[in-house]
Amino acid sequence: MKTSNSYTAIAYMFLAPALILMGVLTFWPVGYNTYLAFQDYSIADGSATWNNFANFKYIAHEDLFWSALKNSLLYLLIVPVIQLAALVVAKMVNNKLPGMTLFRALFYIPVITSISIAGVVWANVYKYDGVLTWLLQSLGILHDQVNWLGEPSIALYMLMIFTFWKGIGYYMVLYLAGLQAIPAEVEEAAILDGANAFQRFWKITVPMVKPTILLCTLLSTIAAIKVYLEVIVLTKGQADTYTALYYVYDQAFRNYNFGRAAAAGVVVTFFCVLLAIVQFRMFGEEKK
Amino acid sequence: MALGKTARSVIGRTLHYAGLLLFAIFTAFPFIWALSVGLSQDPSNIWIFPRAFWPTDPSISWFIRVFHEMPFMTYLGNSALMSFWAVVGVTVVSVLAGYPLARLKFAGRNFIFVAIIATMMLPSEVALVPNFITMKHLGLLNTWTGAILPNIAGAFGIFLMRQAFEAVPQDLIDAARVDGATELQIMWRIMVPVCAPSIAALAIFTLVNEWNDYLWPSIVLNSKDKLPLAVGVFNDLTGPFATSTSLVMAAIVMTIIPVLIFFAFTQRYFVSGLDGAVK
Repeated sequence: MKTSNSYTAIAYMFLAPALILMGVLTFWPVGYNTYLAFQDYSIADGSATWNNFANFKYIAHEDLFWSALKNSLLYLLIVPVIQLAALVVAKMVNNKLPGMTLFRALFYIPVITSISIAGVVWANVYKYDGVLTWLLQSLGILHDQVNWLGEPSIALYMLMIFTFWKGIGYYMVLYLAGLQAIPAEVEEAAILDGANAFQRFWKITVPMVKPTILLCTLLSTIAAIKVYLEVIVLTKGQADTYTALYYVYDQAFRNYNFGRAAAAGVVVTFFCVLLAIVQFRMFGEEKK
Repeated sequence: MALGKTARSVIGRTLHYAGLLLFAIFTAFPFIWALSVGLSQDPSNIWIFPRAFWPTDPSISWFIRVFHEMPFMTYLGNSALMSFWAVVGVTVVSVLAGYPLARLKFAGRNFIFVAIIATMMLPSEVALVPNFITMKHLGLLNTWTGAILPNIAGAFGIFLMRQAFEAVPQDLIDAARVDGATELQIMWRIMVPVCAPSIAALAIFTLVNEWNDYLWPSIVLNSKDKLPLAVGVFNDLTGPFATSTSLVMAAIVMTIIPVLIFFAFTQRYFVSGLDGAVK
């Protein structure tokens, strides 16, 4: 038998590729980004000079950044909606009835479509004479044509619907994996006891997939706070759809102000960590 | 009881399928419309619903025009190459890192695992600017290596592999050690075959992700002949030359079809292989 020391050497040899890559491309950027947040960075010669919180002061007084932050937090509204829907859908396809594989695949198509490509199609869905307008008109809900992505009061919610459409299949698959771990006998016993479908869903399914629910909620909370690809492909930040990470992207690759982008990035990271802590707290309490 | 048991179960099943069908329409309608528009030689009906969901004067001429209007095959080849190397990279790195984290006792194990998992909570987009600067210093701007590298060492792959390796019975490993196998042999001869479904799921997941990656490649790559589909087609379709909706939709359908075919063949492995991630 080998000693634990020789395992340490082997373990680090195995871990080396991952640690080197993550070190350079994941851990270092977090540190360097924090450093950049306090600097004036010059793209031309790569020089950085300490600017004494000027970036933070600037964004703290900028309305654009505050509305971006507000929109990012507003986006959290999508989290409970998408989670409940994904669980219900997963429950509906988790059986041996014919055609379920096909339905699962259909629900997953948006997930395997590139967001840029899906965005081009949805821009047409949201056109003033597009599918959405037609649907609401023929249902008698709407009489005028609406430019869905151009109205500041609704455009952000339109992005949320797009996020819902794009993401629900992903969470459905995770819930499906969680549901398949529930023994069939549990549900059969409840049916014998006369529990109806709703009772079985709330009293059996939900408690038994709680670990998956928490994992998925955490993933979708972070995804919601980070949302900006939707903005890039659908509205370019117009009509009050500017989000916090879109601000980061815009400052970095359109304004070329890396320091200001970094400072905004630090603020977004702070919110991500904060929300993760809150959810882990809830998770911890649930366990007791 | 007013309704017999069979009657109720028939009603229940009908409602069940109706719900599924309604949801399938919601997820599929943009693609059905895009396909119908692409197939319509005559574009006069594409904004008239529900007529637009059925092709008018069907032909594949818009699809053929896509090849003339944009370097579609170049983009396709680029996507295939980038995805291939990303799959190889992610699989190798994640398997190697997952094994010691799951099965070897060594100093710093918990710390390293927590540090890796913690990166899943951070917005990776914050790394855009620093990674851009790093790639500039390494001379990797406008190279495929630069476009792929940040995706290779992902926490998700390492986590998935660790979960899979942890489920392997210890007896198998002990037996191999008694027989004098090295750790590399244990990993390669026992862990990899036993965990093949999870590795397949990771490979599929990575391929789809890389194929669809849009933002980072669009930042790193700037010459048109290096762009993958998700970036090239988007740029061409939203630029000043995108004059025809028919052409746009044909190109979109062509972009989606390869990944759809791939997924149709692999989705079985994908769903079952992800089991480990949620437990």
